[in-house]
Amino acid sequence: MKKMTRGIAAFAAASAVVLAGCSSSEGETDETTSPDATNTAGGEATAAAQDVKLWLMGTDTPDELIQYLKDTYAADNGGTLTVEQIGWGDAISSLTTSLPDSANTPDVTEVGNTQAATFTTVGAFMDITDMYEELGGDDLLQGFVEAGSVGDTVYALPYYFGSRMVWYRKDLYAEGGVDVPTTLAEVTEVNASLKEQEIAGAYVPGQDWRDGISWIFANGGDIATFDGSQWASALSSDESVEGMKQWQELFTTASVASVTDDDSSAYQAINDDFLPGLPAATTMAPNWAFWSLGDLSENDEGEQVATWNDETFGAYVLPGVDGGVAPVFAGGSNIGISAATQNVEGAKQLMQIIFSDDYQLMLAENGLGPANTTFGETYAEVAAMGDLSLQAAESAKLTPAAPGWASIEEQQILEQYFAAVAEGGDVASLAVEYDEKINSLING
Amino acid sequence: MTTPAMTPSRLDDSPAVSKKPLGKILLPYLLVLPALVALLVGMGYPLGWQVFNSFREYGLAAQFGTASPEWVWFENYTTLLSDGTFWFILVKSIVFMAITASMTMILGIGLALLMKAVSRWARLTLQIAMLLAWAMPIVAQMTVWGWLIDKRNGVINYVLSWIPGVDLIGHDWLVNPITFYGIGSTIIVWASVPFVALSVYAALTQVSSEVKEAASLDGASGWQMLRRITMPIIRPVITILFLLQLIWDLRVYAQIRLLQDFGAGGTKYDLLGTYIYSLGIGQNQFGLASAAAMIVMFFTIGLSWYYVRQLLKEDN
Repeated sequence: MKKMTRGIAAFAAASAVVLAGCSSSEGETDETTSPDATNTAGGEATAAAQDVKLWLMGTDTPDELIQYLKDTYAADNGGTLTVEQIGWGDAISSLTTSLPDSANTPDVTEVGNTQAATFTTVGAFMDITDMYEELGGDDLLQGFVEAGSVGDTVYALPYYFGSRMVWYRKDLYAEGGVDVPTTLAEVTEVNASLKEQEIAGAYVPGQDWRDGISWIFANGGDIATFDGSQWASALSSDESVEGMKQWQELFTTASVASVTDDDSSAYQAINDDFLPGLPAATTMAPNWAFWSLGDLSENDEGEQVATWNDETFGAYVLPGVDGGVAPVFAGGSNIGISAATQNVEGAKQLMQIIFSDDYQLMLAENGLGPANTTFGETYAEVAAMGDLSLQAAESAKLTPAAPGWASIEEQQILEQYFAAVAEGGDVASLAVEYDEKINSLING
Repeated sequence: MTTPAMTPSRLDDSPAVSKKPLGKILLPYLLVLPALVALLVGMGYPLGWQVFNSFREYGLAAQFGTASPEWVWFENYTTLLSDGTFWFILVKSIVFMAITASMTMILGIGLALLMKAVSRWARLTLQIAMLLAWAMPIVAQMTVWGWLIDKRNGVINYVLSWIPGVDLIGHDWLVNPITFYGIGSTIIVWASVPFVALSVYAALTQVSSEVKEAASLDGASGWQMLRRITMPIIRPVITILFLLQLIWDLRVYAQIRLLQDFGAGGTKYDLLGTYIYSLGIGQNQFGLASAAAMIVMFFTIGLSWYYVRQLLKEDN
């Protein structure tokens, strides 16, 4: 009996450890919810200090910019700005559960440009048409404004954009005796040659449709088309299938990444020692990958940092089928005010700060394409690879602004399609299969 | 083991109930009340919603209050039950549950018998090792396992590649669904064996030495003793543990979800838990997801029914 009690006591202690583990992590997510966020009367049009909460997705917005927002908001409004960073993977589920709930909603939130339509069409964002002119009007990036609008009603405005480009290793290209490719087919040739010589390869993650989609775009294909009333998936069009076949060839002959890799690992892929075995000489990533690439060293805090080295690292825009520039997927996000916010004035003030010249300039300097195109020139000059990024942005394309698009992203349908193609499946039949899956979701 | 048997007999000896003061009659009910209220509030409310929603078409627009959900009666259920994908995932989940729970029991009972046989120091080491495995939070477990099975820098591929002629560096265990579920099952078995092993060990200590002595005097071999004497005595414990394992392994969510994060997602790698999540949060078909959750719940209730009956039987 004594043994049994001892066992039970041990169990109790063990489960206490487990429970403590749970509750402390819950505490972490909750602590940022300011207890007095609700004490300000909603709808009252006074300039009273309001504590507002801003959700930013991922860690793309640098700390320096977040601090600027906090300081400026405190000075302008007197209230406190709380910034919470939500991982991109949790973005849709967090927004779905929190946005309708006035007690927990972020007052202002960033949302992926491709996810915006899903939320704007169901009324999750506040109508800010009356602020449109004040925040930049027609100077704002129009493709993104459309992504955040329903008809003429503006709900979410562009926050920043980025263009994907190709990053490469000059030293490895030189070692293999290959030049920077000028057509899409040469991208495959160059990397296949490097791989054949056992020098390096291209980092083509099997699930990375956001970069791979360029092969479809470059061949004149599309993800989906709109006939004026309905969206229809277009993966099985001749152009899209041709593009996927070329991408499959790139993957099978030149890739050093595997089927289950995704674009989260594509940023640093060409750094030294990222891969055991054959290194990557080529990868695709948005222009802000600049800050993650270069010679590796440790900073004073013992963290690994990369310092760009022009001798070994370079970038080029993805060439098209017959040269020129291939359309890339325009990454970036929109930002808007939650329809359920109780701090309308504070939220509007925060939007004014975000769209101020100062902040737009800071975005440009940090390599995030500014929403306001009047800062495009500064961006091309000061941002790392800003000129290439702007060149790529000119022909960049967005994903379908369809109501059901976020479901397709959340379900990782395109990730699965690309992975299945990478595994060596028959492109034409897979395209038909995934067209069906997309069609059942895309119209909401 | 003897305590529950004693309690009823003592109650029988007590004077007739009617002579007790009112306070004494109410006391047991008062003691049960907090647990009952907590259960009703904690489980009743979400469960009520689940039942209610399973009869409605509830999408994102309803979630944001811009459209009222439509009452569709059993349409969600018929949609699911006539959908091949749902059946495929249900069957996969049941197979996964059966294999994982059986492996857990076999290893758990084996380890309990081992603990009974080895010296005190060996036993203590085993117990501590198992308690640590049991105490490890799921996310921490999965992070460690993620490192172990990592395709490029994982320990497992590295060690396996020592075998002459084997080169597994870069081999991805999470692409093939069979190895994906194999890894998932291994992780869950590893994490649940301690609970089974320690519980069975506790039960084994209650098998009286007189019975065993008598059996060995009658010439029973070790195997016979285990099969004919020990197992029947600890059978109630084993039955209940097995049922608990079955229920836990059917509802498994976190481990599979985290494995999908390491590898790839999609219905190819889904079990019921992750499938329902993708129906609800992924496709915003909250009604359909509720109906799927209801079907799983009926299945679980069916399993637990047996469990509850076993408990009641022992009480008598």
